[in-house]
Amino acid sequence: MTRIGLPRALLFHQYGDAWKSFIETLGLEPVVSSTTTGEILTSGTAHTDNESCLPVKVFTGHLLKLKEAADAILVPRVVTQNRGMKSCPKYLGLPDIARAIDHDLPPIFAPVMDLADRRHKWVNDWYEMALRFGASQSAARAAVKAMLASLKSCMAPLAGAATTDAGFNVGVAGHVYNLQDPRVSMGLLDRIRVMGASPLVVEKVPRRLIRRELKTLERKIRWDSESDIVGAVLHWSRSRSVAGVIYLSSFACGPGSMIGALIEDQFGREKSVPLMSITLDEHSGEGGLVTRIEAFLDMLRYASANDPSSAAGGAR
Amino acid sequence: MKIAVPRMGNLSLIIKDMVQRFDLDYLETPPFTEQTMEIGAALAPEFACLPLKAVLGTFVGALAMGADTLVTGGGHGPCRFGYYGEIQRRILEREGHDFRMVVLEPPSVSLRAFHDSIRSVIPREQVGFGTLARELYLTLSKVLLLDMLDKRALQLRGLEVVAGSVDEALADAQEIVSRAFTRKELSAARKEGDARFREVEIEWDRPHLKVGLVGEIFVVLETFFNFDIEHWLGRRNVVVERSVTISDTCDPFHRNPVFGYPEHMVARMAKPYLSHEVGGDGLLTVGSSVIFARRGFDAVVHFLPFTCMPEVIAKGVLGRVSQELEMPVLSLSIDEQTGKAGVETRLEALLDLAWSNKAKSLHARAELQAVT
Repeated sequence: MTRIGLPRALLFHQYGDAWKSFIETLGLEPVVSSTTTGEILTSGTAHTDNESCLPVKVFTGHLLKLKEAADAILVPRVVTQNRGMKSCPKYLGLPDIARAIDHDLPPIFAPVMDLADRRHKWVNDWYEMALRFGASQSAARAAVKAMLASLKSCMAPLAGAATTDAGFNVGVAGHVYNLQDPRVSMGLLDRIRVMGASPLVVEKVPRRLIRRELKTLERKIRWDSESDIVGAVLHWSRSRSVAGVIYLSSFACGPGSMIGALIEDQFGREKSVPLMSITLDEHSGEGGLVTRIEAFLDMLRYASANDPSSAAGGAR
Repeated sequence: MKIAVPRMGNLSLIIKDMVQRFDLDYLETPPFTEQTMEIGAALAPEFACLPLKAVLGTFVGALAMGADTLVTGGGHGPCRFGYYGEIQRRILEREGHDFRMVVLEPPSVSLRAFHDSIRSVIPREQVGFGTLARELYLTLSKVLLLDMLDKRALQLRGLEVVAGSVDEALADAQEIVSRAFTRKELSAARKEGDARFREVEIEWDRPHLKVGLVGEIFVVLETFFNFDIEHWLGRRNVVVERSVTISDTCDPFHRNPVFGYPEHMVARMAKPYLSHEVGGDGLLTVGSSVIFARRGFDAVVHFLPFTCMPEVIAKGVLGRVSQELEMPVLSLSIDEQTGKAGVETRLEALLDLAWSNKAKSLHARAELQAVT
């Protein structure tokens, strides 16, 4: 077993580097699927339950792409990302869904990642898996070490606040796996730049600021990524560091629908900056999305032109 | 303080009990209708799951009827249910209503959180801790009794000689149990209820199917959303067993007294297909389907609200369960657009398939016996 497949979907966008360094340190070859194509999207949709959220459909497409290209596929089970938080159920059941999709897939390995556990007891799963791949005990230990080091740099706290650029800032809130996927997001971030605005993303907002905003909520949000999104969105809105916010959600995303309602309601109460909610699905036509973004950005530009004290420019 | 609580299966009987025990002012929520759903769906986020929309519609109606305290369930599992109260509160406030939203954390999550939340409705000045604990324990015992009566009815309905006799017995037994409040009374009520069921004439050797009922608790228990599945199956000579009940969900020690298989066993059975908790009733759905298959059930019917996350995962792996354990499974995804005819057609097809499988295996067995 030398080629270990990694589907370029879901949490690969966050922890992929750590997973790759684990595999490479063992002397094995990581095989990552290509970026999402129309074909991957179609095959994923065809092989998943149609009620599944879009990201799971994308994941399935990538998984099927790796059928011939790998001897084994790595689908880690990311159980927690922060303390006191829960993962989306889809992360918890992902390996099981993967195993139920196609009988001809290469064996799927699902070591646990419990990032809230500061003592890293979960690395034992990875150690055992390395031994099963034929590594020696010392090689397995080295691979685990490499992965932990890589994770540390993934998750290091960011220095400094989000900086402002020329043009005006637009907060783009959504999951990493949607925004960093050029096909799923239709290149949203680049389009915004081309239209003369500066997109700000959730990952660049310091955790300290996110936590501060989350404390003001009446009920704690228990989903990791969603909680970060809400914190970032509230920070942008309350500090007026953006002219407007675009909230990007996936078709049938459970947590996304809940916090979408929360964000809309809270913005309605605070009346700070304009908010636009977009739902992505596998049928999203480029034209529709582009038109909406253009209209929204035009509206923001118009508002700032007529009201010099408003947020477009955000010098903070 | 006028309280309104959403309906879900036997929940209304349980609330009536608590209302009498603790002398609370309570508004009986009306049954679900098309209109309730329309109102709820119009106000709720599009991809919110059905229970949120249904309960929201109910709350709007209850507020119009004079309720000022809305009580709903909590929880912090990965499933969205725990967050409903917050979203519903915001939506209703935006609509201009004046009320208090109380979120009751389930005892299975944390006894302390449950206690703290129930104190918003039953204040310390009114009822001391000792009394509260004892009375709630008795309420939970009553819930268990009611769920056991349901279990009995599900077993017998498909085999009754006189149509409706099991439901009459059930109604009588429920009436007897609802009038019992102390430990002695509940014990006597249980014996009386059992006796009442023994009076029903049953055709034990009638050819019948054994079907398991699994899925998300709200749509499995609420007859408006599952198109009264338990009676539908009962009328067609089907013996039914349901794996999800209110008692089992509330049991702080996860023993599943009604279903009969504790949580760790359910997890073990589910392991080859789903090896981790996914929130809600997901793992129970898969584990109990495996248990039903191993017990030789003829089919499993799976109800879930559209986009229910844990159940969509369960649905994804039930295909494998069905194939490997050779038992047909029908997953029915329910939302405000689901039509009765479509559901009935699929259920009829499932029963046809189950009967045909049964005939084949009986035929095969008969052939084997003829040869040996």
